[in-house]
Amino acid sequence: MALRDAPIAAALRAGLALGVAALGTGSTLAYFEESLPTSMNPLYASAMVDYRSQELVFDRLWFHDAITNELKSRIVERYELVDGGKGVRITLISGVKWHDGKPMNAKDLCFTVDAMLDKNTPSPVAQEYRQFITGCEVTSGQVATISFNRVFHNPRERLGFALLPREAFESTAISPDLEFSAKPIGTGPMKGSRGRRGAIFDAFANVHHTPQVAQLQLQDAGDPLVQVKTIINNGVQGIIAVPPPYRPDLSSNDEVALKSYDLRSWWFIALNTNKGALADPRVRKGLNLAIDRTALREFTIGVKAGEENSPCEFISGPFVQSSPYYNRAVPTVDRSNKAQAKALFEEAGLKDTGGRWHYKNAPITLRVGMLAPLNNEAPDLLSYIGNQLSDAGFDRNDLKISADEWKTNVLTGKATDYDLLIGKWSFGLYEDVNHLFHSRTGNAGKLNLFNYKNADVDATLQAYDRAVTDTAARDAYHKLHTQVAEDLPYLFLWKLDTRSAWRTEVRGNIISAYYYFTEIDSWKYGR
Amino acid sequence: MVRVLAALALPVLVPTIITLLIWSLPGDPASLICPAESCGSTEVLSARWNLDQGPQGFLSAWLGDAVQGDLGRSWRLQQGVQVNELIGDALPNTLILLALALIPLTIGTLRAALGPLPRGFGPVIQVLGLVPALVLALVAAAVVELRWGSASFGDAASWARLIAGALVLGLADGALSGAVGGTRALFEAEARQRYVGIALLRGEGVLGNTLPNVAPALAGQVRGRVLHLLSGAVIVEAILRIDGVGDLLWGGTLLQDFGVVLASATIFALISSALLLLQAMAEVLIALVVRRSPDLGEGAGA
Repeated sequence: MALRDAPIAAALRAGLALGVAALGTGSTLAYFEESLPTSMNPLYASAMVDYRSQELVFDRLWFHDAITNELKSRIVERYELVDGGKGVRITLISGVKWHDGKPMNAKDLCFTVDAMLDKNTPSPVAQEYRQFITGCEVTSGQVATISFNRVFHNPRERLGFALLPREAFESTAISPDLEFSAKPIGTGPMKGSRGRRGAIFDAFANVHHTPQVAQLQLQDAGDPLVQVKTIINNGVQGIIAVPPPYRPDLSSNDEVALKSYDLRSWWFIALNTNKGALADPRVRKGLNLAIDRTALREFTIGVKAGEENSPCEFISGPFVQSSPYYNRAVPTVDRSNKAQAKALFEEAGLKDTGGRWHYKNAPITLRVGMLAPLNNEAPDLLSYIGNQLSDAGFDRNDLKISADEWKTNVLTGKATDYDLLIGKWSFGLYEDVNHLFHSRTGNAGKLNLFNYKNADVDATLQAYDRAVTDTAARDAYHKLHTQVAEDLPYLFLWKLDTRSAWRTEVRGNIISAYYYFTEIDSWKYGR
Repeated sequence: MVRVLAALALPVLVPTIITLLIWSLPGDPASLICPAESCGSTEVLSARWNLDQGPQGFLSAWLGDAVQGDLGRSWRLQQGVQVNELIGDALPNTLILLALALIPLTIGTLRAALGPLPRGFGPVIQVLGLVPALVLALVAAAVVELRWGSASFGDAASWARLIAGALVLGLADGALSGAVGGTRALFEAEARQRYVGIALLRGEGVLGNTLPNVAPALAGQVRGRVLHLLSGAVIVEAILRIDGVGDLLWGGTLLQDFGVVLASATIFALISSALLLLQAMAEVLIALVVRRSPDLGEGAGA
């Protein structure tokens, strides 16, 4: 009896084990993030990991469809422009519940707006909205009207904020250190909480979300090599950003798929236009020609000259080439031209003494800083750029800048002791570069690294701000592209593809631009 | 007396020094958390965190709350979480790590005190002690990450981290060889004293005679070693990503999360105070019990 039934029992056991394994592995997806989220409160998002994590927990009023690029909303039933375009009346869908079980309504929408307008909410995100939103009024249960201070050509695109639950806060003054920052309550597909070593996101079914992955586990990425080995061993199922040098290891593995993540990020070398010889545009142009981008790309990212389907595409201005704002009339500078660079330096009055360039009879030493985490994506970029500068006749002092120092000193325009800063900007579909180039006055130019000032550029940026049609906005940014490529507050380097890696057991994993997890409802896990 | 006073002063002195350091940094403290250029105004945050009343106001408010068991919330490290909760989760791990690290040190100390060591033991632990804790910790961290993958913060992996951390603390940077060598040197020097030779001639043992005299110095050595482990724990916890107080201190410092830094540094100060008190108590006990004047009986004396 026992002998006869043994094969059946074994088959049953095997089947049961397979089923349990499938259920077990299907329930939880673990992935490596670039770092842990700083805050889960959308008002205090400051890094890409924050935006990605919050996308799981919250619904933004409007978002771009990952496939059609169409502007959509999961929580707005209908909308209409009112007050000649200076307001939007929004009807929210009914039946949506917050993660604490309470229903979402128009009061929550207006609470979110009021919180952003409250000057006691020290949120950089809210400050952006304060520039153009003037108020919000509840009309009825699910209906509210948001007012602007001017007419926009794209009012819905301006309303990409996440909704906050009114009842989770004591007042509209929202501080970053509330418990909400660690244990947020949203209406998104996942209920999230951040721990010491990671974040957990548990599926939360709602009328507008049906997540199929029961749990996502975010883990802080360590060494890239360890990440790669871990995903190959199925220790985790995904890596958000795989540095280019490690991509061949993963692309040759049948169990892991590399997926493109459209971050619209571009790399640059910002020049201190207020310091020494760099104040002269001819010196900046000379440097632009002294840098050999093709060699840099080959040495740091491993892209050979002329290689097709390169993950790294040169740019000539502050947009990626796929952007409608990119001005194709401005050519990229792929190779160095030392003769032209030398001529420009001499024209600017620099003296070549013993192979070193001198300014006002003193040798020029360039203090070059680079955002340290970029070294993972482009290993030794700082050294290679330093070497090229040395080769061009400049002494240099290379320094890596931690992410925290970058945030507190560089982004705030305080790092004026540097001559060059190597960094990267990332954008969503809505590419507003005004803060990068506008002179620092009032609320403008908040990300102007070296306090660059150019009245013509400011006028162009204001023209973009005033644009009420897509064409006018595009024309303004095309002009900006030409202006900054001429005046060179930045040396524009390249757009580097961001690639994620996911195990092939993860299916339907559409990756949205910038926010990544917008389509998480379609993700499935299991063979 | 000095030790008791130092033990009482440390938990106040440490937060005071940290507070002064905060104010010695360029810019107002709130702007370090959220620069005015990003937050618009830091006045709201300053008021919320008592940073608008100068170092004295801040320190007295923090100490007042701390005495009542309220350590505030994390500003940046784990934004929004109660520091009490963070410390409550972290402290047991640090204590376990220290306890585990003390096992090889205690065995080594006892073995060195009790007699000659096996041949070859000394060179082995000296070679082990040559490996820097940093290197050993990095290797251990990589092994745990690769072995456990996504579950590397699960129960089994967490214990593996603790055990690896304890071994690093207990062996690397000459910890074990120092403990063995220090204890042996102490006992050997004492054993060379004339009174020990006389005691041996009377048929008494070496340990029974030397121990009462070396005990205060031994207590000092043990306290020194525990303090060495405590400072090493910060590095080991940070590298091995052990959720301990040292890791909180490290993370808080990197992110200028002053609330977390103050609390975790004060915890270390409290542990140091406890050790000082223990040493003082040991010395008093030795003086009272072990080293009391011999009872010479009636009629003794001139």
